Amino acid sequence: MKRNMLVAAVAAIVLCAALPAGAQAAAPLTGETISVLLPPWATLPKDMTDRFTAQTGIKLSLQTLGWDEIRTKIITASIAGSAPADVTEVDWSWVGQFGMSGWYAPLNSMVDASAAKDLPETAIFTYDKKLIGIPYNNDFRLLIFNRQHLSAAGIAQPPKTLAELLADAKAIKEKGVVKYPLALPLSATEGTSTSWYLLTKAFGGDLFDSNLKPLFTSPDSAGYKALAWEIDALKAGLIDPAATGLKDVEVQELFKNGQASFDVAGWAGNLSVYTDASKSKVASVAEGALMPTVSGKTRTFGLPEAVGVPAASTHKAAAEAFVRWFVAPENQMESYTALGNLPTRTSVLKSLNDSGKLASGKALLAQAAVVEPLFRQGTPTWYPQFSSAVSAAINQAAKGQLSVDAAIKQIAAQAADAQAQ
Amino acid sequence: MSSELVNSETALTRAGNASAVNSERMLGFAFVAPIVVVMGFLVFGPVLVTLWDSLHRVDPMRAGTPFIGLDNYRNLMSDARVLHAWLNTLAYVVFAVVLETLGGLGAALLLNRITWGRRWLLAAVVLPWALPPVVNAIVWSWIYNPSHGLLNSVLFSTGLIGAYHVWFNDRTTALLLVALVHVWRMLPLTAVILLAALQSIPAELYQAARLDGAGPFRLFSKVTLPLISGGLAIALSQSTVFAFNLFDEAWILNGSSLDTRSVLIQVYMSAFQDLRFSYGMALSVLVMFASLVISLVYVLRVYRETRYD
Amino acid sequence: MRPSLLSRIGLLACTALLLIWSLGPVYWALVTSLSAPIDLVSASPHFFPVHPTLEHYRQLLGATSFYEGSAVQSVWPQFSRALVNSLLTSLLATIVTVALAAVGAYAFVRLKFPGRNVLFVLVVASLAIPAYTVMIPLYRLMVSMKLIDTYFGVTMIYVSAFLPLALWLMRSVYQSLPLSLEEAAWMDGAGRTYTLFRIVLPLAAPGLIASAILTFLSAWGQFMIPLVFSPTLSTKPLTVLIPEFVSRNYVDYGLMNAAGMLAIIPPIVVVLFLNRYLVQGLMAGSGK
Repeated sequence: MKRNMLVAAVAAIVLCAALPAGAQAAAPLTGETISVLLPPWATLPKDMTDRFTAQTGIKLSLQTLGWDEIRTKIITASIAGSAPADVTEVDWSWVGQFGMSGWYAPLNSMVDASAAKDLPETAIFTYDKKLIGIPYNNDFRLLIFNRQHLSAAGIAQPPKTLAELLADAKAIKEKGVVKYPLALPLSATEGTSTSWYLLTKAFGGDLFDSNLKPLFTSPDSAGYKALAWEIDALKAGLIDPAATGLKDVEVQELFKNGQASFDVAGWAGNLSVYTDASKSKVASVAEGALMPTVSGKTRTFGLPEAVGVPAASTHKAAAEAFVRWFVAPENQMESYTALGNLPTRTSVLKSLNDSGKLASGKALLAQAAVVEPLFRQGTPTWYPQFSSAVSAAINQAAKGQLSVDAAIKQIAAQAADAQAQ
Repeated sequence: MSSELVNSETALTRAGNASAVNSERMLGFAFVAPIVVVMGFLVFGPVLVTLWDSLHRVDPMRAGTPFIGLDNYRNLMSDARVLHAWLNTLAYVVFAVVLETLGGLGAALLLNRITWGRRWLLAAVVLPWALPPVVNAIVWSWIYNPSHGLLNSVLFSTGLIGAYHVWFNDRTTALLLVALVHVWRMLPLTAVILLAALQSIPAELYQAARLDGAGPFRLFSKVTLPLISGGLAIALSQSTVFAFNLFDEAWILNGSSLDTRSVLIQVYMSAFQDLRFSYGMALSVLVMFASLVISLVYVLRVYRETRYD
Repeated sequence: MRPSLLSRIGLLACTALLLIWSLGPVYWALVTSLSAPIDLVSASPHFFPVHPTLEHYRQLLGATSFYEGSAVQSVWPQFSRALVNSLLTSLLATIVTVALAAVGAYAFVRLKFPGRNVLFVLVVASLAIPAYTVMIPLYRLMVSMKLIDTYFGVTMIYVSAFLPLALWLMRSVYQSLPLSLEEAAWMDGAGRTYTLFRIVLPLAAPGLIASAILTFLSAWGQFMIPLVFSPTLSTKPLTVLIPEFVSRNYVDYGLMNAAGMLAIIPPIVVVLFLNRYLVQGLMAGSGK
């Protein structure tokens, strides 16, 4: 008798637990409000956010924060077991660290086999078979230049090698077209590190070997030469001395205002913003070209960004609805034209190019074909610490406080330190 | 003999008022109990935990907290970034104390002389202290902006500099400018402390000294300075402690750049960017000891004063 | 001895210098917040807005905001929430701190109990401990008690930070009150607690107000503590929201200064109208 009652009680409890889950799936999510934490280039226009609310009934509280500040915000909240927001940015460089700590809910159910083909970057955001973010920004780097400045200096074609880039910049400066032709960030922020990685690749080398040992320590290595190139360009007056206080988004403003000729580590998606007359002063003359390298054969790497749902979020269903909406083809297209986020869906890229809406489409697609990941084995968990050590050292070298040699040694030492943990 | 009388008197009082004394004790405990709880849980407890944990490895991303003895401290001594941070903080303390004391003294002397509209001048002087340091940093970072800032345009148009400077490129200038924002905020505190000290000097002393033929300089050094020495000591130790705690200004003005990184920024970064809690805790232990030693003056004065109760 | 003309001019010049030093940056921020963006990037400084505009304030307080030329969701919901958070935590911290200090300081001054002096010295000595040095274990404590991102957690941290100064202040206020007043009350048979609440506290009102002002201003201006303990909008104060705002709007100086101006309205109000109490508090708090 008692046993039957026990079984009945257990069954009742199990049923009660199952009911809400079922109810949640059935009931519309109308009236819920979710908070979304994204970097500045994902500040969705009002029409888009209003449209989302109209379609799903979910209200959005969109919080945008400088990219360098987002990671710390996510960490402080996540360690405490609370969700920094219901949907947050998940950058390729955080996958190792965030994946290991289990702070993000797996989104494998949202992407089936065919969708995964259309979104190739999902591989980068998979940690231990769990998909912790759906990619929304297909960022990779290429050279963006101001055609008008080049013509004014008598240069017909964009540079194909780094030597040509330097020579072109010098010519532009000498002709007085612009004071500081090269736009490169040199502050202690992530943009500085990633431009150095790009230049390392341009010099024909890599950062780490397959055993994650640094390859940039000897003076004839690509990384060393890349840093020396940057500092020499700065000393030659080709980079604005104020760049030591500028982030990547701020040097992009210089380019948009026509104060720089080359956005050296240009973001692929930004071409849509640069060619938009309502947003940039160089709309008619901004063009993309393949990243120049020492050998002339272009190389670049990818820095995709995704949106993820923190495991501690209390509005997971609504958050997933937002993620699904955000990477839907038509919204990826609008996100590109309004904000410069290059679509991650191959199908969308193709249709954009076919309809001629892909600015500098030819160069973009050619560059996209050679995009490599920075870490073939997946982003290590110590990457964020390594990267901030890199930008701090480059910042000091740019201010003349460290020689290139000393800066490289400092980076290597702190890489070893980060890896040891 | 009189002491025997006093003793028997107090013995009588004690016997008669034992319950009164007891209830006073209970009441005293009751009144300070919440304070003990709050300070114990949120200040003294954590201090002890910090001391203990700094001898272990405590990282939120890794399991276990093994005992590692003085390893954290050893690593701190050899960490170049930490050394940078200490030097920067020392620079802040020196700049801040010197500028705040000189400026505060000047402001206090001026306020003491002014009789008409002193209340409004005092309000204006105190305003920078009352504002959130974060807002100060934003306002001043706009002033320091290399391309469009007020500092560059004023210096350039008055011919003091040949071209616009990028102020934060040079480490010394960067430290000075960050310290300047801190001084702007903390100078009012020194000024008010010294003003209070100045106002407690009786006018007759000045009259007597003048009768003896003392000029303004002798008046200052022989009458004013000695009599405000107490207030000066307090202002100095306050300036030091606050300069040690410098975080907001350096963080907003120059971010995590090593040039201007204070020790507290390094503590914050070790904990919340590098995720090495015990490393940050070891550093904060060192900061605490340094700060305590330097403000020993203040603590001793407090103790001397409470002994007279 | 009548001050000579020279010394009068000297005094005036020094006063002007002091005023420019203290108020100049605030005035400049005000001008910037009211200037059109084109005027801000012009070569020469304008000490009065050339084209005065309220567009920056409209962006902060209005229905839409702008970003890179396109209209985006209004920031007002976040701004207003952060404002409420700032007000709530500052007021709560003030009330709790002053209450504890008013009662506790009385015990330190008028009541005898074992360990009184030691405890007082300890509490006030904690003023020398930078509040941030206990931040990491505090963080772990709050995490384990699930108090991160709660009003209670942040408020209690503020209380522990500002209590020593308030205690010191109230103690010197009580010491300056003549014992005879209280003795008269005891003669009439009043209890200690009654004396405290009905007789002493009303007389110590200026001290209470001074403590309240000091605590409120300190709590309003806190940055690092809420940066760690209030990471999300549920409890994020204005001081944390504004730099985030700055990190997103890196070129919009007018907007940044406008946001700053809004955040300093309460402190300015306090300084203007409660200046007397504030200065009293600062003077007393510096250990006369």
